[in-house]
Amino acid sequence: MGEVIRAGWLPGFDEAEVGWETLTFTRAGPPVAVEVPVLDAAQIARLAATVRKGAREGLKSRGTAEIVDIVDAAIHRLLDRDDPHRRALDSLLPAITGYDAEMVRVGLTDYLKTFRKPQLTRFLAEDFANPGLLDGFQPTPKGGYARAHGPELLAHVWAGNVPGLPLWSLVSGLLVKAGSIGKVASAEPLFAGHFARLLAEVEPTLGAALGVVWWRGGEGESEAALLAEADVVMAYGGNEALADLARRVPITTRFLPHGHKISFQVIAREALDTAKAWNSAHEAARDIVAFDQQGCYSPQCVFVEAGGALSPREFARALAHELSAFESRFPRRPLDVGEANALAGWRHGQEMRGLAGAEVEVVGGGEAAWSVAFTGTADALDPSVLNRTIRVAAVTDLADVVACVAPRRAYLQSAAIAAAPERLFPLAEALGSAGVTRITALGRMSVLEAGWHHDGRFNLLDLVTITEIEAAAELAAEDLADYLA
Amino acid sequence: MDLSTKNVLVTGASRGIGAAIATAFAAEGAAVAINYLSNEDAAAATVARCREAGGRAQAYAADVTDGDAVRTLAETVLADFGHVDVLVNNAFRAYRFDAERRALFWELEWEDYQAQFEGAVKGAHGLIRALLPSMRARAAGGIVNVASDLVARPSIPYHDYTTGKSALVGFSRNLAAELGPFGIRVNCVAPGLVYPTEASAQTKETLKEQLIAQTPLRRLARPEDVAGPVLFLSCDWSGFMTGQTLYVDGGLVMG
Repeated sequence: MGEVIRAGWLPGFDEAEVGWETLTFTRAGPPVAVEVPVLDAAQIARLAATVRKGAREGLKSRGTAEIVDIVDAAIHRLLDRDDPHRRALDSLLPAITGYDAEMVRVGLTDYLKTFRKPQLTRFLAEDFANPGLLDGFQPTPKGGYARAHGPELLAHVWAGNVPGLPLWSLVSGLLVKAGSIGKVASAEPLFAGHFARLLAEVEPTLGAALGVVWWRGGEGESEAALLAEADVVMAYGGNEALADLARRVPITTRFLPHGHKISFQVIAREALDTAKAWNSAHEAARDIVAFDQQGCYSPQCVFVEAGGALSPREFARALAHELSAFESRFPRRPLDVGEANALAGWRHGQEMRGLAGAEVEVVGGGEAAWSVAFTGTADALDPSVLNRTIRVAAVTDLADVVACVAPRRAYLQSAAIAAAPERLFPLAEALGSAGVTRITALGRMSVLEAGWHHDGRFNLLDLVTITEIEAAAELAAEDLADYLA
Repeated sequence: MDLSTKNVLVTGASRGIGAAIATAFAAEGAAVAINYLSNEDAAAATVARCREAGGRAQAYAADVTDGDAVRTLAETVLADFGHVDVLVNNAFRAYRFDAERRALFWELEWEDYQAQFEGAVKGAHGLIRALLPSMRARAAGGIVNVASDLVARPSIPYHDYTTGKSALVGFSRNLAAELGPFGIRVNCVAPGLVYPTEASAQTKETLKEQLIAQTPLRRLARPEDVAGPVLFLSCDWSGFMTGQTLYVDGGLVMG
């Protein structure tokens, strides 16, 4: 085992003061040990006080534009493949997550581009007609004035399915000038601490506005301490864990959960003509390959309309070849036993359906690092076992997709649609009514747009509280002025 | 394919395509001489991989465009191995592949062409001259020269590099005509963009996507993809082929 890597970010603490637990990662080959900081309840309270103060001094004293510039500078450091932080992430993230190094490198760059200054400005504009609200009272159309205050302390509970995930909520917190303490996931404990350290290098006064900690799931003391301190809690993870967490969040604290989601693709017959079909398959495969389908935005089923030059069944075979081709470029990570069993079970289940008379074709043998099953009937959208496992479901008309996905309303998130404009909008309308919150292009599912509305919510607006000076207060103040007239 | 009786010399074999070719030969049981220019650690790693794969392997430092160094290399390899059945000329003069900042034709000097011509042809020429007596004495031998699919389809006009590789193809065809009567076959393998290698490490994703979009097999070559055709052209399976160029680019070039 090589040198031990320490995760986390603890302003105001000596590393020797806190406990450290070692997480060992073996999925990608040689074991990698990462030490994560474990704080007791009193230490969490102390960290919370430090971070609140750090946010007051480093963030609340600054204009939003200045904060945007600082984040932009940090992101540009990470976009540079030769920067020491980027080099560390490029080598460590694949080593701990098992994801292919090329995929992490390319995916990380695409992702980081979302947080440069023009994109951050868009992020702000998306949620605030007048981002000046974050800096001071602004006149409102109804009369009076309003100002948006971010929380003093925003708690984050991150998931580890996709590397870099903490950046969304960390940047959201920074833009609304919130102090942040995040709990990293055991599956990916490194990114958040690196970002905090980098931010402190770019602007030392921001170092104390963030804290990054860890505790073992279900260990109540540290978690309870953080939940008690936080004004707002953002949490990512499985629905059971989130429900559990929700029960422990004080009623006065805003809780913003991002749970399990299912996303899918829809390919119209016009995207399957003899010129475009191959590109449709290529882009569909790109979405399936990205982070081995572990994202909330990853497609778990492709609905393919009949009537194009390529039939849905032929599309399934072309998609399988594209997945093979991508395997040579971005190999799938090694599966653990549970995943391998789930996958074998899924293949077996599909084959059994075929033997029982359903129109099912499992493409290719079981040895490939992808699994494609074609089904001739459009059944309800069922969750995939992931790791590049996809069902290609034939539909006779695009509109049929709506009935397939509607039963999953609470879980729906992204739909990638390849269809002509006159069909895109009606389908988007129907899918939106069924619960879909994001419609994107094939091949773009894993690349979230700057300022997107995660699960249909407002990233920044959901974090703030608005203070209003009503017109009456302003008017009443006029009467109390000291001027002589 | 059983190559356990074959002795193979691969130039530029410490990394990238050359290392993949050397390892593939070793996996079929061949004894492989691994020539490298300067990266001793990488050469040692390739030797280790070859041995792990089941072949014999030894590393030899030499600049193949230096006449004296080439003669010494040939003598040393012959002394160690007895004879060489297969020579793979894979080394090339360092070149910066950068589609966005490449030199335009009118920015290139004659010396740039000269350097690439020497990198491609002089290295092959020198080694073949040095090894030919031993091959002729055995009335058998296989020579595989690594060119580029850019010679048939300059997707990006790297003038000097591609001109050098085109010369290597012409050189190989003449040599095939000359050496056929002695039972020595000369062929070329012409890969498309191979990723990842040190030369292609900086290639942008957009360029990769453009090439993939036009490639029937829908991906780029990996170093291992080049090894199969090289092995094929080195063994009896291609015993009646000489003077040919096999394109290894997923069907981007057909010919």
